[in-house]
Amino acid sequence: MDAKQTELFEKLYADHHAMVLQMCLGYLKGDRIQADDVVQEVFIKIWQNLDKFRGASSYKTWIYRITVNSCLGFINKSKKEKKRNLNELSENLEAQESTILETDEAQTLYTAIGKLAETDRLIIMMVLEGQEYDTIGEVMGINPSNVRVKIHRIKKRLKKLLTPTNHG
Amino acid sequence: MDNDLFEIQNQWQKAKGKLNPKTGAISELYSKIKEKEKSNYFFYYGTISILSLTLIGISLFFYYVAPVQETLSRIGVGLMILGLLIRIIIEIGSIHRAKSINHSDGALKTLENTYAFHSYRKMIHHVVAPTIIACYTIGFYMITPEFAKYIPLPYLILIDVSYVVVGIILFLVIRKGVRKEMRHLNELSQLREELVAE
Repeated sequence: MDAKQTELFEKLYADHHAMVLQMCLGYLKGDRIQADDVVQEVFIKIWQNLDKFRGASSYKTWIYRITVNSCLGFINKSKKEKKRNLNELSENLEAQESTILETDEAQTLYTAIGKLAETDRLIIMMVLEGQEYDTIGEVMGINPSNVRVKIHRIKKRLKKLLTPTNHG
Repeated sequence: MDNDLFEIQNQWQKAKGKLNPKTGAISELYSKIKEKEKSNYFFYYGTISILSLTLIGISLFFYYVAPVQETLSRIGVGLMILGLLIRIIIEIGSIHRAKSINHSDGALKTLENTYAFHSYRKMIHHVVAPTIIACYTIGFYMITPEFAKYIPLPYLILIDVSYVVVGIILFLVIRKGVRKEMRHLNELSQLREELVAE
C-alpha cells in the first residue's frame, strides 16, 4: 500500500468511523466492546480491498456494504468466541457502565434497534442515516420496492419498541 | 409516523456526534491489519503446506526408504498418495471459494456466496474427508502384509493399533467440523430468508 492509499485510508477512517461504529452499536444492542471489534474488522476489510475499489458507487455506499456484511458475518462467529466476548464484557462492565450512563438516550435507541430482526436493524439504521431506498436496496442486495415494504413495517415496530408501556 | 421518525433520526445523529475513536485507535488498527494478514496467509496456505509436506514425505519414504515390491502394496501406496493429492486439490478449491466472497458485494450476494462456501466445506467434511481417510486406511492396511516380512510382529501390531486410535481422533475432528458448518449454514439460511421476506 503506497502513501497515497494510506492517506486515503486514514481519511476514510476519519470521515466514516462514527457512522460505522454507530451501525455496529445499533446492531449489537449498544455493546461497545463487540462493536469496536466489528469496527476493526470493517476497517481491516476496507484496507484489504481499497485497491479493488472501482468507483462504481460512492465510498460511503461501499463502506455501508462492508459494514453490513461484517455485522451479518459477526453473527456467524462461533459460540466459543461469543462466550469469550461475553467474558471480556463482564470484565469491562465497570468501564462500560459509565459509558452507558453518559449516553442513556442513545443506549435506549440501540437497545430498541437491537430487538429488531438482524437484517431489519441494518435497514432501519441506514434509514436513520438518511439513505435513499435505492442505496439501501443496493447495499442489502434486494429490490427497492421490497425495501420500501420492509421499512414501513420496521418503522412501525421501532416506534412501538420506543413507546414507553404503562404497566401500572 | 414521519414526525416520529424525524425525532428518532435526531436522536440518532446526536448520539453519533458523541462517538469518537479511542485514543491510538489507528495505530492499533495498523497492528491488527498486520496480524490479520499473517493469519489469513496461514488460513489460505497453512493446511496446503502441511498436506504437501506429508505427501512429499510419504512419496520419498516409499521411494527411497521402503520401496514396496508386491502389487497389493503398490496399490496401497497409490491409494495413500492419491488420497492426499485429492485432499490438496480440494483444499485449493476451498481457498478459491473463500476468496470469491467479496465483502463489498450486496448483503444478499455475500450471504449466498458465504452459504456456498460453507456448503462446500460441509461436503468436504461429510463426504470427501471420510472417503479420503477410507482410501488412506485401506492403502495403509494393504501394505501391512509386505511390511510383516520385515518388521517384527509386536511393532506391526503397535503400528496397526495406533492407526485405529488416530482414526478415532480423525472421526471426532470431522464430526466437530460437520456440526460447525451445519450451524453456520442454518444461521446463514435464516438470515437469507429474513432478508428476502417482505
